Amino acid sequence: MERDVTTPPRETEDQLASPSRRGFLQLAAATGAAVSVGRSARALTELPYPAGDLSDEKLVEMYRTILRIRWHERTQADQMLTNPDYRGYNHFYAGQEAVATGVCANLRNSGPRDQLDLVYSSHRPSGHAIAKGVDIPSMVAEMDFRATGMNGGYAAEMHIADPDVGFAGADGMIGPAPVVASGSAFAFRARGSDQVAVVFAGDGNYAAPHFHSTLNNAKLLDLPLIYVCENNLYHQYAHYSLSCPHEDIASAAAAYGIPAVTVDGQNVVEVYNAAREAVDRARGGGGPTFIEAKTYRYYNHWGAPGAKAGELGAFGYDPLAITHFRPEKELRAWMQRDPVDIARKILVDWGVVDSARAAEIEEEVKAEIAEAFEWGLSQPLCNPEDGLKHVFAEGTVPARQFG
Amino acid sequence: MAQKSWMYSVLEAVQHEMREDPAMTWIFELTPPVASNPGKPVINLETEFGRKRVVNTGIDENWMASAVVGAGLAGSKAATYIPYQGACMPFEVIQNVASKLRHKTGGRASVPVVWIIEMTGQTPGFAQQHSCYEEDSYYMHIPGVRTVIPSTPYDAKGMMHAAIRSPDPVVYLYPAGLRTLTEEVPDEAYEVPLDKAAVRMEGSDLTIVSSGAGMPGVLEAAETLTGEGASVEVIDLRALNQMDTETIVNSVAKTKRLLTVDQSYYTLCPGAEVIARAVENVDGVKVKRVAFPDAPPPASPEMFLWMRPGPENVVEAARALL
Repeated sequence: MERDVTTPPRETEDQLASPSRRGFLQLAAATGAAVSVGRSARALTELPYPAGDLSDEKLVEMYRTILRIRWHERTQADQMLTNPDYRGYNHFYAGQEAVATGVCANLRNSGPRDQLDLVYSSHRPSGHAIAKGVDIPSMVAEMDFRATGMNGGYAAEMHIADPDVGFAGADGMIGPAPVVASGSAFAFRARGSDQVAVVFAGDGNYAAPHFHSTLNNAKLLDLPLIYVCENNLYHQYAHYSLSCPHEDIASAAAAYGIPAVTVDGQNVVEVYNAAREAVDRARGGGGPTFIEAKTYRYYNHWGAPGAKAGELGAFGYDPLAITHFRPEKELRAWMQRDPVDIARKILVDWGVVDSARAAEIEEEVKAEIAEAFEWGLSQPLCNPEDGLKHVFAEGTVPARQFG
Repeated sequence: MAQKSWMYSVLEAVQHEMREDPAMTWIFELTPPVASNPGKPVINLETEFGRKRVVNTGIDENWMASAVVGAGLAGSKAATYIPYQGACMPFEVIQNVASKLRHKTGGRASVPVVWIIEMTGQTPGFAQQHSCYEEDSYYMHIPGVRTVIPSTPYDAKGMMHAAIRSPDPVVYLYPAGLRTLTEEVPDEAYEVPLDKAAVRMEGSDLTIVSSGAGMPGVLEAAETLTGEGASVEVIDLRALNQMDTETIVNSVAKTKRLLTVDQSYYTLCPGAEVIARAVENVDGVKVKRVAFPDAPPPASPEMFLWMRPGPENVVEAARALL
């Protein structure tokens, strides 16, 4: 089945329970048929696929994760828009929640450090961090430059990291993260570990030489690396067609001989299933996988310009978008396929929860996030002198600003 | 003549040179070459010169920096605008390819290109990779590349004309924190030399040397010191390589006191070179060096603003010298 990837894919929901497709899909699963690039013939939400084996508890936890990300983003956007004392900022992940959630649900996110799977994030990191299991209150404190934040106020949004859950961290640069992630995968393989490294990178990373170096070396060395390309159509304010000649970025990965798949990034089960196959392959010594998730962000590139407090998404003017404006209709069309709504519908359709319980869970998550902000924003500010610490493992460097 | 912003002044120079030379090209990523100014026509290089000459690439500073070198070797003047997110990604091709081309070919190759490299370090909270102000030290160390750092819209325009017309490759550092400055800038083309410092204030008790984003704070501090009765001479380096030793030495020979101010890291900051040249040439000079500590710029505004040298640090250090 052909999918026009320039418009939001729409087939998964209405074909969820098609009996004829189920027969085909069972056959495909039994034969281990590879998913071809950009032309997925499988409705991955079908039950015979990996997510169908998940416990109800795990499915509910994935739904909670999606909601935690969503309400973290909405709460933070509202803080930026309404609280003059709030100094934090974010490159908001709202709209892309199913990607981080579906991938990280397959990973080892707790336990001894030498067994954790590592996630490398982009400069749109809050969703990846939450899905990997960071402590949300301490992330909230970090994003508002608090001394007791996850990284002591040194990081802020673009550099958050929590090695205790295998969250290697955000990166403010476009380019280096995938190459570095491949180095972790290289180390896992060299020491005989079954850990895997995952890198989330946007469509903007395609043009950087690092993209190509990563895939070439991952394939040459059979590294346990999963490259998750979150194609939300825009790098900053430029459409990805300005920097990539391929409709599917995954077709570039295929050129390096790496199994590559495009998935509906709005559907957590579809993402989960693709990531499950990738993680199984990597742990089993089968080498790298490239997953391109077609997705969309509800806010502008950075911060909350164009957004209104209490409302989801940014429809207004963004003064930073000098030459390129994404069409409002495009945003509205993508919001019709909201990852929260899709996850909720799957859980209800599968009888995991009913609508009332699903709504209750959302209220529980909203309360949890509200508490996280209350705690985070009441934390102490940093001591200026501490800026001289953590340059090297020991000691401080001298102050030089006084002459 | 009109009050013009920094970026409008720069793009006015580029527009003029591109109209004069139909082979000249401009490569950018993310930051479109567009500027507006009250009472002046909007400048948009992309629409005026078309997408064959003015190219919006993907996020690939290595290609941008290398492509202008190749364009230069092919006989075309070329410039590229590297935003601060990738300010050192071009380093290898500038340091190890472009800078050595003229010398290694025995003078036969010429690379008449300009890399406009944004520096940040101005906005508290941007943190670490979006807050650094160290590119001056890195790029000024490269022989064969002229590294300049204007600090006013007037100089920005005149040095852009000079950079594009120069037969040498030029790293043109742009401290993004100065983008809000405006001043009277002529409409016509003019050149500001790429190897001359500017004496911004004349005095006889103390020489303060700074550059780029350090200048507004230094001038503010100099006003304070003047109010306290001190006679302060302020030098804006403008050229980091080749540095204008003569202007520095002449001033320090008069004042015998030298304070350098940098937002770059202490070790190998431009001021370190200024001090070395001064004490090599003038006996009995008292010196002090104000700079950002040798630590990456942290996110917290409390830490960052304490570490980044401000006017009050300059005043305190000057008082200690006087």
